[in-house]
Parts: sequence; structure tokens; C-alpha cells
Amino acid sequence: MSTSQAIVAGWMESPTSAVNHEARRRAEDNALAAMVDQYAGALYRVAYSVLRNQADAEDAVQEAFVRVLRHRDTLGEVRDHRVWLIRIVWNIVLDRKRRAKTRPETDDVSELARVLPSKGLSAEELAAAAQHHAHVLACVDQLPVKERQVLMLSAFEELTSVEIASVLGITESSVRSRLFRARNLMADLLEHQRSLR
Amino acid sequence: MNSNPHDRKAFESASSLAEETLRMIASLPAPDGLEDRVNAALSAAPRRGRVLAWPRTLRPESGWMRTAAAAAIVFVVAGGGWGVYMRVEQSQPAKVIVMPARMPVTGGLAGAGAIRTPQTLPGPIAPEPAKANPARPKATKKPVESHKTLGTGTGQPASTGNPAAEPGPSR
Repeated sequence: MSTSQAIVAGWMESPTSAVNHEARRRAEDNALAAMVDQYAGALYRVAYSVLRNQADAEDAVQEAFVRVLRHRDTLGEVRDHRVWLIRIVWNIVLDRKRRAKTRPETDDVSELARVLPSKGLSAEELAAAAQHHAHVLACVDQLPVKERQVLMLSAFEELTSVEIASVLGITESSVRSRLFRARNLMADLLEHQRSLR
Repeated sequence: MNSNPHDRKAFESASSLAEETLRMIASLPAPDGLEDRVNAALSAAPRRGRVLAWPRTLRPESGWMRTAAAAAIVFVVAGGGWGVYMRVEQSQPAKVIVMPARMPVTGGLAGAGAIRTPQTLPGPIAPEPAKANPARPKATKKPVESHKTLGTGTGQPASTGNPAAEPGPSR
């Protein structure tokens, strides 16, 4: 192709390039749909562990994928899509949590009673379990932010300490030391609560 | 912390309680149809996050845009270089102002040994002291008797009575 032809081709979009563009867009859409199928559940659980509300967690997941859609040009540069997506949704839920007012513990109890697996449990046992979990989660909320974040992410079986460090943007040794401190603080808090009762 | 075995046991049970709850929360299943809803939201979302989208022919992906940007950069760089070159060519030689040679300090104007003496104001002139009269006999020792009779009693010699013969007041 001569230079003049190239310039003309640049000025007037040829049907071939339009077809290529359309094909590329479809490929990107398919890749994004595959990512949704693969990671939406994990992202939802991460979001729910922070927000503790089903609708809010679902909104956060949708927002995370919309952000991915807007920046899909950079998808090729991402090494680990799973950790990258968890980091996106983690930032979204932290932002939402910061803006939202503190949820009362009763809200947590009712929400947990709704979502807890109820196999082999009576209604009373289910309510007691929900109350216990809500009480533990209230203690978790009293932890310092750094320790709380590490403790919550460490509960996800699929996340290693290296991946937690990548999500939080810290070193792996920091993750370990924060996790140790979080466990100690958590034990102290629960003991203190028990002694008060 | 928690060095006591009992305390350590309590610590482990407490932390395991917390982690058990967090694991339970983390393992809750996602609601049914989540993926479909997310896909629907994605298809409804705008494709581009820009407020102002590029026109079809001005899309950044198209090659001519890149070519035009490269040409603009080359034009700016070459134009700048040419401008600098032209300015250097047309510049006038610097005007040289000859400074007068400095006079050496030792060979300059000399005072020729002149010493300036300031004028003094006319002041009072002291009168010349009168000379002693050589014709007048010098007062010598007088006999004790006459001194006793003519003395004034002040211990000073008695006046001769002629004021002109006496020396004037010395000033």
C-alpha cells in the first residue's frame, strides 16, 4: 500500500477495518462474559463479607464489572485476573462501607438468619447461631482497619497470603504480622465480652 | 501474650470462633442468577466511559491519527531547530566599546611638594616688651638705716615717685 493510499484509508474507514473492529469488540465481550461466569461468585462473597447485605454486594459486583468494561483495553496487561478483580471489588466495597452509616447489629442478625444454611437446625437454633455470628462480626468491626482487612480476606480459602498482599498492596510479611495481631486482638475482645456477660 | 496454657487455649478457641464465623460468611453461596444480572447490566452500560467520544473518523485507533501526530511532532522539532539556526545566522556582531586606558596611580598628577596652609584669622597682637633703661642706676643695697626710715613696711622697695622711670606693666 502506498503512502497516499494509506492516508486515504486512514481518512475514510474501510469496510474491512470496521469488520475487524466489530470482531474485536465481540471477542472482548465474550471474554468479559467468561470472566463474569468465572469470578462473579467469588467477588460477591468478598463484597458480602464487608457489606453484609445481599443487594449491596450484588451492586458492588456489577459496578466492578462495569469498571472492567470501561477499561477493557488494559485487560491484556493484567497478569492475574482473579486477584485484579478482587482488588477492584475490595476498593468498591470499602468505599461504600466508608460512606454508609454503621449498621446496627440487629440488621446483621436478621440478614444472617436469612442467609445462613439451615440444614438440620430448628428455627430457634438458627436464630441463636445468627445472633452468635452477629456478635462475633461486631467484635471484628472493633478491630483496627488494617488488622480487620487482613483477617477478613484470610477467611477466603482461595486467597493465599501472597494474593492478600497483592489485593491490599502490602508485603507478605506485613500480612502475616497483621494477621497475628488481629487474632490476638480478636481473642482479647471475645474474652472481654464473655467476662462482661 | 497468652503464655499460660489455659489462656492460650482460650485464645485459640476465641480466634477460631472468629475465623469460623468469617469463613462461614466467606463461603456463602452467591444468589441465583447473579451472572445473568451482571451480564445484563454490562450490556446496558455505555461502551465507553468518556463524556466526549471521538468521531468515527477521528478514532485514536485509526492509523492516520498516529501519523498526523508524528508529523506534527516532527514539524515542531524541525521548525524549532530551523528558527534557532536562522537566529544565529542573522545576529549582528557584538558592539565593542573601547574603554579608556586606566592611568597608573603612580604616574598621575602630583602635588609637587605643595602644602596647603589655611588662612588664619587676625587675632590680638601682643605689645613688644619695653627694654630696660641702661642709664638708670641699678638699685643696690642701701644702708640699713635709710631703709628702715623710708620703708613702707610691705617688704617692697619704696617708689621713687617718678612713674616714667619705673618699668611698665608686662603683659
